[in-house]
Amino acid sequence: MKKKSIFGAIGLSIAASVLVASCGSSNSGGGPAGAPKKGGTVHILTLGEQIAHLDPQRNYTGTDMAFAVSTMHRTLTSYKYAGGDEGSEITADLATDTGTVTNEGKTWAFTLAGGGTFEDGSPITCADVAYGVSRTFATDIITDGPSYAMSYIDVADYPGPYKATADQQAAFDKAVNCVDQTVTFNLKVPVADFNYTTTLTAFSPVPKALDTGENYDMKPVSSGPYKIESYEIGKSLVLVRNDKWDQASDPLRHAYADSIVYEFGLDASVIDERMIKDAGDDQFAVSEGIQPENLQTIFEDDAFKNRRVDYLDPFVTYTNVNVKSVPCLDVRKAVYLALDRDALRKAGGGPYTGDYADGFIKPALAADYAKSKMLEGLNEDGTPNVEAAKAAMEAAKTSCPEVAQHAADGLVYPYPDTPVWAKAIAIWIESQAKAGITIKGEAVEASKYWPTVMAPDAVYDLARGGWAPDWLNASTVIPELFATSGGFNLTHNDADPDYAEFQTAVDAAKVNLDRAAQGKQWQELNQFVVDRLWALPGTFVKAQSIWGSKVGNAYQWGPYGSFNFGELSINS
Amino acid sequence: MLLFIIRRLFFAIVLLIAVSVFTYFLFALLPTDPAALSCGIHCKPETIAANRIRLGYDKSIFEQYWLFLKGIFVGRDYGIGTAAFTCPAPSLGYSFNQHACVTSLIGETFPVTAYLSIGAFILWMMIGIGVGAIAALNKGKWQDRLATAFASVGVSLPTFYFGLLALFSIVIWFQILPFPSYESPLDNFPAFITAMILPWLVLAIISAASYTRLTRNGMLEAMNEDFVRLGVAKGLRLRVILRRYVMRQALIPIVTIAGLDFAGLLGGAIITESVFSLPGMGRMSIRAVVDSDLPVLVGTTMIAAVFIVLANVIVDIAYGFLDPRVRVS
Repeated sequence: MKKKSIFGAIGLSIAASVLVASCGSSNSGGGPAGAPKKGGTVHILTLGEQIAHLDPQRNYTGTDMAFAVSTMHRTLTSYKYAGGDEGSEITADLATDTGTVTNEGKTWAFTLAGGGTFEDGSPITCADVAYGVSRTFATDIITDGPSYAMSYIDVADYPGPYKATADQQAAFDKAVNCVDQTVTFNLKVPVADFNYTTTLTAFSPVPKALDTGENYDMKPVSSGPYKIESYEIGKSLVLVRNDKWDQASDPLRHAYADSIVYEFGLDASVIDERMIKDAGDDQFAVSEGIQPENLQTIFEDDAFKNRRVDYLDPFVTYTNVNVKSVPCLDVRKAVYLALDRDALRKAGGGPYTGDYADGFIKPALAADYAKSKMLEGLNEDGTPNVEAAKAAMEAAKTSCPEVAQHAADGLVYPYPDTPVWAKAIAIWIESQAKAGITIKGEAVEASKYWPTVMAPDAVYDLARGGWAPDWLNASTVIPELFATSGGFNLTHNDADPDYAEFQTAVDAAKVNLDRAAQGKQWQELNQFVVDRLWALPGTFVKAQSIWGSKVGNAYQWGPYGSFNFGELSINS
Repeated sequence: MLLFIIRRLFFAIVLLIAVSVFTYFLFALLPTDPAALSCGIHCKPETIAANRIRLGYDKSIFEQYWLFLKGIFVGRDYGIGTAAFTCPAPSLGYSFNQHACVTSLIGETFPVTAYLSIGAFILWMMIGIGVGAIAALNKGKWQDRLATAFASVGVSLPTFYFGLLALFSIVIWFQILPFPSYESPLDNFPAFITAMILPWLVLAIISAASYTRLTRNGMLEAMNEDFVRLGVAKGLRLRVILRRYVMRQALIPIVTIAGLDFAGLLGGAIITESVFSLPGMGRMSIRAVVDSDLPVLVGTTMIAAVFIVLANVIVDIAYGFLDPRVRVS
């Protein structure tokens, strides 16, 4: 899942942090007690100038997905509309159930429950779902969305519906097959959790006749309880009730508010001040995030206790170690032990940035999470253990002298050329020096950072990383980050003799249709990586939010780390 | 005069072409990669390559510029196959960030900037010239000292600070006005006034300060001129002397600066628009810089240049009316 302001977010939270109890409780939020009522207008205050993408096939940011799914774009499957652990459970949306898998995980079928309509009153059909999915293949127009459909669906050289030849379209129609109201996905490989993949709006229906390609982003056709009344980038997005939506056909959404107004382009300090003051229409508002300078005001004053939340969002930060250039566990241990995570936390903004990560799978992935056993000697308070680091370096001089010398000469660490990262790299250099390790920081222009480190011939020993699962299954974490086939493996861990064992275990977990057993496999694989330090866990990132005193049902929706916007209510 | 205007307009066109060339080539020198900006962590080489093609940055900078120029006269096609669409002439390109033709975006944002600029301009001229005149006519008295203090404070107040202070105090803390939410005057005039009054005042007070100084100094200087003393000696009434001789003389430098200031504002009152969340051209151009949105950047730069050039022409013409010596020469 993409995250807004990713450089800033990771930068802030590269510093691991200990949850300070006085900061406020980690919970999923709430709002005024009592059953939510219908009516009123919810306001969303944001400093963003627009929603990155409202086109369902391009929508791919946590907050934007929570907004789009809950208001406008129904999907085949979804997460339960609830806070806490319940909100992480998968359930049917447009489909009658969470899918039927056959062919050992290579064929998935979903039958539409029926009754769903678009905002023009036309019924949502299987063909609309298939057409929506087909759009993700048109990467020259439908940009920035997830590419899972292209990775999984068994069709070759399909360019999307806009320029497909009849043969190419026929091949796609065979791979994504409609019989009556049942859509069947034929996959290239077994995907045990494909019904989680279908929670993405990339699998939302789009009526072909109303598709406007590039411009669909501004006026997508709603299949949910709200539709766009007006959308002016830099000013506002106004959603009103979709009078063609029938609640009886929708098992999830309640659509309490009559309208939802997204207010764009506000100054961050103005948003906080308005939320703190809680006057006028701002009593009916929610905001995204709180400025660091206002966190103490909000979290240390009981006046805000019923309208604030401090929670773990889906993001994890870590540092990749290039196992090919640092093929020595003792050196990797020394680097991790010497790292001053406490100083990084302070530089990143303080205790609200996140908890120290004990691996790469967050607790929100309840079925897949188990607390990992961390490296012996690693200080729980985040301070460096210089003596243990020195001892590890001494051991490395015996076990792998060349790598130890390489670490002493200088480990190359490219970083985005931003002020936040300049501070972080200075801490890295200073803390590693105490253990006799040299860090050679190399600034890379921020927009070119990822292309630079992800290039096949990139030269580095250490590289920052940050990740959020695309759906609540560690299949979108462990394989993505540490399998050679993963989209974000920067560890070159295939140089490790243990990699073959790891790959075999990953392959087995990916096709395991027993969810509980699969979760256990991911837990073991997470520990496998932690033990070998292919990457150094950083933080389980936290976020904070505040809402107006008359907003109800303001819970944090775990899968997206955001409000469930469509379920917000007004309690006057 | 006609020949003068034609000549100025010709140079204006040349200047605009130069501005567009400069912006295009300056953009090409930036280290930022626009094709990589939107995909972030998912920036695989193939994603960036696809993005580059879609944005048109796979072509040479010369070809990009040629297509831009051509678009102004014949419009420009985007998209592929059944998803193709056109930005009609005069096309300044298409913003893939904002999903709209740049000409349309400017058409939507320019009125906001224009309303902000015109309202603030009228206010600051009234305040600036009025307070400056009072100060000049009461030289050394408390009115003069008060006006000087006003000018000093106004000049030294940064817009973003004063704007936020006004917003926090008047809107959030004391709730005298609702939070500014721009409405077109054609749709909802009272809401338009409510939204604009604070930005107008902030911009006017800050800008008026320097005009207070200019007016005061200009009038005091003019009042010492021989032709003014002659008017006094002839027994002309004070009002006539002030209107015909003093103000006319004092206004000459003010007109020059006011014309350029106003034109600069029309190009985008960036800070005021940002503080008050007004969806104007200034905020759009700042966003274009952040997003490396070249078409919007070029479009807004050119529009700003048009106003600067036009303002210069108008100032030159106005000079002739204000100062007969210019007309004669």
